[in-house]
Amino acid sequence: MMKHTLTGLAAVAAAALALTACSAGGSAGGGDAPEGNVPLNIGNFLDVTSWDPALADIGFDGPYLSAVYDPLVVVDGDGVPQPALATAWEVSDDFTTITMDLRTDAVFSNGEAFDAAAAVQSLDYLKAGVRSQEAYQKVESFEAVDEDTIAIHLTERDDTILYFMGLGRSYMMAPAAIADGSLATAPVGSGPYTLGDATVPGAEYHFDKVADHWDAAAFPFDPLVVSPLSDPTAMLNGMEGGQFNVIYGDQTAIDMAADSGWNVSSGLAAWVGLQFTDRAGATEMGTPLGDVRVRQALNHAFNGPEMLQAIGQDNGAATNQVFPADTTGNLPELNDLFAPDIETAKQMLADAGYPDGFAVKMPMAPPFQPYQASVEQVFDELGITVTWDEYQFMDYMANAPTYPMFVGVISMDGNAVATVERQIAKPQWYNPTTGLDSFPEIQAQTDKVFAADPGDAQTQEIETLNEMITNEAWFDVWYQSNNSYVSTAEFTVTPVIGMMFPTLRHINLAG
Amino acid sequence: MLSFTLKRLLSGVILLFAVATGTFFLAHAAIPDPTLGLLGSAATPEAQAALAQKIGTDRPVLVQYGEWILRLLQGDFGESWRNFQPVSAQIATKLPVTLSVVTVAILLSAVLGGVLGVLAGLRPNTWIDRLVKAGAVILFALPGFWVALVLVMLFAVQLKWFPAVGYTPPAQSVGGWIQSITLPAIALALGAIVMIAEQLRNAIIQADRQDYVRTLRSRGLPPWRIVAHLLRNAAPASLTVLALMFVGLLSGAIVVEQIFALPGIGALTQGSSQNGDIPMLLGITVITVVFVVIVNFLLDILLGWINPKARVQ
Repeated sequence: MMKHTLTGLAAVAAAALALTACSAGGSAGGGDAPEGNVPLNIGNFLDVTSWDPALADIGFDGPYLSAVYDPLVVVDGDGVPQPALATAWEVSDDFTTITMDLRTDAVFSNGEAFDAAAAVQSLDYLKAGVRSQEAYQKVESFEAVDEDTIAIHLTERDDTILYFMGLGRSYMMAPAAIADGSLATAPVGSGPYTLGDATVPGAEYHFDKVADHWDAAAFPFDPLVVSPLSDPTAMLNGMEGGQFNVIYGDQTAIDMAADSGWNVSSGLAAWVGLQFTDRAGATEMGTPLGDVRVRQALNHAFNGPEMLQAIGQDNGAATNQVFPADTTGNLPELNDLFAPDIETAKQMLADAGYPDGFAVKMPMAPPFQPYQASVEQVFDELGITVTWDEYQFMDYMANAPTYPMFVGVISMDGNAVATVERQIAKPQWYNPTTGLDSFPEIQAQTDKVFAADPGDAQTQEIETLNEMITNEAWFDVWYQSNNSYVSTAEFTVTPVIGMMFPTLRHINLAG
Repeated sequence: MLSFTLKRLLSGVILLFAVATGTFFLAHAAIPDPTLGLLGSAATPEAQAALAQKIGTDRPVLVQYGEWILRLLQGDFGESWRNFQPVSAQIATKLPVTLSVVTVAILLSAVLGGVLGVLAGLRPNTWIDRLVKAGAVILFALPGFWVALVLVMLFAVQLKWFPAVGYTPPAQSVGGWIQSITLPAIALALGAIVMIAEQLRNAIIQADRQDYVRTLRSRGLPPWRIVAHLLRNAAPASLTVLALMFVGLLSGAIVVEQIFALPGIGALTQGSSQNGDIPMLLGITVITVVFVVIVNFLLDILLGWINPKARVQ
């Protein structure tokens, strides 16, 4: 979840639009690790939010937290939950209990042993955490069944809990450290590294390798240093100067990669386009958008593939859907549903009763200015008069959803059910009123998704839902943009949709 | 002198209170709902409500202000809304970075700017004078971030004499510390050097035309003593510029810290601003104002010591 969307929005400005795990010994990022350790210096985009997993963000905290903590579950490059400290799990027939088998050979850096009681204590702590609670909204209780088994009891079925746990919401903490409230400054996990004394907070985080870590072979990095650098130019300078092996890459870094012998890994992160907040036309200013023909006209009016090339510098995917391209739910055959055609758009507006367009107010903030000219140009051709209300970036998030539509760079998930939840069914900051109550057929189809058996049946319902909302022009998606990572030739990076920066498990030795 | 000092201290406290109060309300007006920035895409209505309750933004702003100002009076800056760690502790780790770069930049400016200014002032219309004037024009015309980038590209990326990014604390390695702050300090100081030199040059030329200098010369005083007299009369204007520069360099450090990835106040300000971490922003503002007040206070004391007339005024 892109640092969430906020950081995703920030990445637009700062990085010019600008991240499996495995069971023991495995490596989800691809490539077998050769013998011996290699130095790894990572240039991350943001400083660690907090060493306390309950207060940390998922977005850019991945490399920091994954060094010192082991998760119960991780997600692979396809967003599929994979074993870590939990070696296997089983979901009950009524989908309300998840029983997990735990490793018995993990030890916290303070000497405490990892077991079911420790896991339950960590999970209770995460459920109460201001930021980590997002993964445990439907949890009733955690239970230590025996020394190496826990049960997660849900209040209702939750098809996304394992996915969110795998994104970085299931890091296990030493019970004593939880009890004394010191995690934020002194992390105590069972991870492959411990935070080193040479650390300079805010500048360089040095990590000491735990030699007898249960999955040491998956972490052949030593020494390991992670440095936060919010400036893409500084990151590139550090890469050129030989200080970094892996950085969050902007377009300049990507362009330089071939000549420098660097590897580039890119993965979809966000969709770019118009977010409609008043699909029912409930407000006076939003009335036109309550007409499906107007929303469809806007879908026809913008040339997404061209915008991807011109603005997104071809770093993404040309699709008109909120489900990431080439993942479950995304239907390539829908991409041509609203082929770019301004004349068709004009005709549809005329059919809807707006032959001369209409007037609309929209919010604008610096990170979205690259799209402003395109919007004005297209709206001008349609006769739509747009008045921009300027906001600072911070205010944009608070105010944008109060307009009938706004330019959005909205983070995506690698899990189709999570996409249904976040983009369609559950209120989010960018969609405080889902509007489903005005569309009973879409509401009914959404309910079918959550009720269907996991697997093919659920996928079918999701695809049907996607078809419905795409036909209804629920969004105006211009294209989907990538996050990119540049690494020296020795490393490969596996991007993960939903993470702004990969965890250490997603960074592997090449070859 | 005591009355003069007390007046200066009182005006500093009033300024600090006014700026702190103004910044508090401005920050809350500018960031009406900080939970959005703090939570990012996890900003569901439930999470927003839980965070608002935890950080207290679900209460009236006046109540929040009252609590904040009371804690501030006790020297407590509160907790960051981002990571819930004490603001003072985080500023304490960042401030030395910014201060070390700014202090070295100021020292460079004072020494090099002073030497160049005196030489140019004593020999107007010579090559050194023209060099100072030309340098002033060129370095003022060049954007600071561009100069910093050129320094990085040349001395870090190409020659690899210095690290391109990063900071080494002196406690860890003095050599590493010098290496890590050299380029940032030079980038900050270049503009200030020529400004000090230009200022001092003009003041010296003006003082050199005074009758008392002619008298000193006619008495056969050695040139260095005449220069000392000239400096005593020409220094106040330059010291004022130097003090103003300290304040300017504190804000200029934001750009330089970004380019060199230094973990200073600039980076902290930028991050806190982006996330809507109001307690951190307020803490940084208060500390910055305290430094501005201290520098101006020391300047006033210094000027009063150099020139007793200033105390009377």
